Amino acid sequence: MIYRLKLPILSASSSCLRRRRLSFYSTTAATASSFASHLSPPLKPQTPLFLRPLSHSTSPSSLLSFRQWAESLARSYAADLSIDGGPSASELIRELSWLLQDATFQAGETMLLRTDLQDLYCLWMQRIEARRPFQYIVGCEHWRDLVLAVREGVLIPRPETEELVDLVAGVEGFKDGLWADLGTGSGAIAIGIGRILGENGRVVATDLSEAAVEVARFNVGRYKLEDKVEIRQGHWFEPLQDLHGKLSGLVSNPPYIPSSHIPGLQAEVGKHEPSLALDGGMNGMDHLLHLCDGLISALKPGGFFAFETNGDKQSEYIVDFISSQGSNTFHDMRIVADFAGVRRFVTGYCQ
Amino acid sequence: MEPEITSLESLMSDCPEDKDMREMASEELAEAFEEEKRLFHSLLKLLLPKDEADERDCILEVRAGTGGEEASLFAMDIFKMYEKYSQKKGWRFEIIDIMETDLKGYKEASGTVSGCGAYGKLKFESGIHRVQRVPVTEKSGRVHTSAVSVAILPQADEVDVQVRNEDLRVDTYRSGGSGGQSVNTTNSAVRITHIPTGIAVAIQDERSQHMNKAKALKVLRARLYEIERSRLHMNRSKLRSEQIGSGDRSERIRTYNFPQGRVTDHRVGITHHAIEDIMEGESLDVFIDALLLQEEMDAIATFSA
Repeated sequence: MIYRLKLPILSASSSCLRRRRLSFYSTTAATASSFASHLSPPLKPQTPLFLRPLSHSTSPSSLLSFRQWAESLARSYAADLSIDGGPSASELIRELSWLLQDATFQAGETMLLRTDLQDLYCLWMQRIEARRPFQYIVGCEHWRDLVLAVREGVLIPRPETEELVDLVAGVEGFKDGLWADLGTGSGAIAIGIGRILGENGRVVATDLSEAAVEVARFNVGRYKLEDKVEIRQGHWFEPLQDLHGKLSGLVSNPPYIPSSHIPGLQAEVGKHEPSLALDGGMNGMDHLLHLCDGLISALKPGGFFAFETNGDKQSEYIVDFISSQGSNTFHDMRIVADFAGVRRFVTGYCQ
Repeated sequence: MEPEITSLESLMSDCPEDKDMREMASEELAEAFEEEKRLFHSLLKLLLPKDEADERDCILEVRAGTGGEEASLFAMDIFKMYEKYSQKKGWRFEIIDIMETDLKGYKEASGTVSGCGAYGKLKFESGIHRVQRVPVTEKSGRVHTSAVSVAILPQADEVDVQVRNEDLRVDTYRSGGSGGQSVNTTNSAVRITHIPTGIAVAIQDERSQHMNKAKALKVLRARLYEIERSRLHMNRSKLRSEQIGSGDRSERIRTYNFPQGRVTDHRVGITHHAIEDIMEGESLDVFIDALLLQEEMDAIATFSA
């Protein structure tokens, strides 16, 4: 039986305590009492684990007990987690090794840590019990060849979306273009494009969420792309008034999940990721259609667009919708499948 | 060289009574003959067809064979042996992918070795490596024999092997349903199948799908390049068929006998008695140098025949 958290994430440390008193592993019982007296403040959410200083240490054997405890926990809970499409035991164990990869550094007989050992216990408890996404636990997501900071309030970029950057790279003359990424979240697409642009190319990325804007700016800075990628806060096209009709391309991965599907999502997504970045309204296309409406005035003649959708039917609908705006407005409309064969992206060119 | 030899010979016949002089001349003559042989040898070496792949970086693949968990543990030992050997050579060793077993042995492991002449040195390591020892899992203390297969492939780039996108099938983890925003998975495993040859490469170690895909393509390219090379190799000549390092992966090339503390290479018949050194990547050159020399001699023999 899974003990479900009713409290918000930041107070998860208290649930760790409760959980650990119930713990069936003697190795953890020994540390549980010391844990109570060392309750650390909630982790600063801004800095990904792997970027924090190695300011803690422990012995290899203590770390080994942590690993064994964490593996046992993963194995005993995995069956429950998989009910709504959550991770399997082997996936959790791989996440555990990545957590340790991000958090530890072996220096001779000492293990240096980027957070204290109790936090590791706590983080793993949050992962298993509260279903807090692994990427929020470590504060980053590996995406394309990037390591992007993410945190609560910011959508974790998905592997499907990696392909949007390749679609842009296939556009003639993209390198020196002025690009827009609307609803940039962590800044993933904008940074992905920014990294392959030529000297004159630029990306302007927008997001309504303050958390997203903050994280995106952090990521842009980490890849030293301040000259290429600009992050602006605001609702879709609103922050782009000065670029009207000047964009050589526009990409977006807007929220596209139909509202009715939200309650059935796996816990990692439904309970932890921002609904602002997921919920696309009744049929999931509220924002996609808004973006389609703004395309003509935003793009310059010959400009390119690429949208990610919920797949198949949505993609078809979007193509029909754009085509119905006038037969000569857009050309070379395509639906592109993702790696799983879902017809995920809609692309085309302005006349 | 020849004028010197001639003049030394005439010197010897000219002064039959000067003993010291004759001795000196005969010593020098012997040296001159040695030198002549050496020059002849290096000349032949220059004339030998060179394998341009020798200079390349390579991909190392280790697979546990017969012997269950013990074979996987030995596969791990062998993999680490090459890692240490590479580091000692000043090469860069990067893990591509490791499939662990429950006891933390390696069912399969692959890595890239980058550095000057990495393929040329490591190519003889392809084949079956046999181990004889008491497995840690064995309570009765009985010696088991298990096997691990090693493959060394020269690295290939887009120029060597052109892979058409249409020929590839890319499989990724998919939970079903809509995917995209609806799913958060950290499973970024990728399997790429080259449809015309049926070769499949699966990579799961990287944390982004993009990187797993790039690695899988790299391995796939190396495998396709190797197929093309062995096809050319077969066509080129039958003469070389007896050569070592033919890359026949079913050949049992070496035995690691732990109870006796020795390693024997069956191709050159050399036994090294400090098995620990070998496993630490220290003395592997004992075999590699002998194999290189033998390759050279074989090539010269077939060339001058």
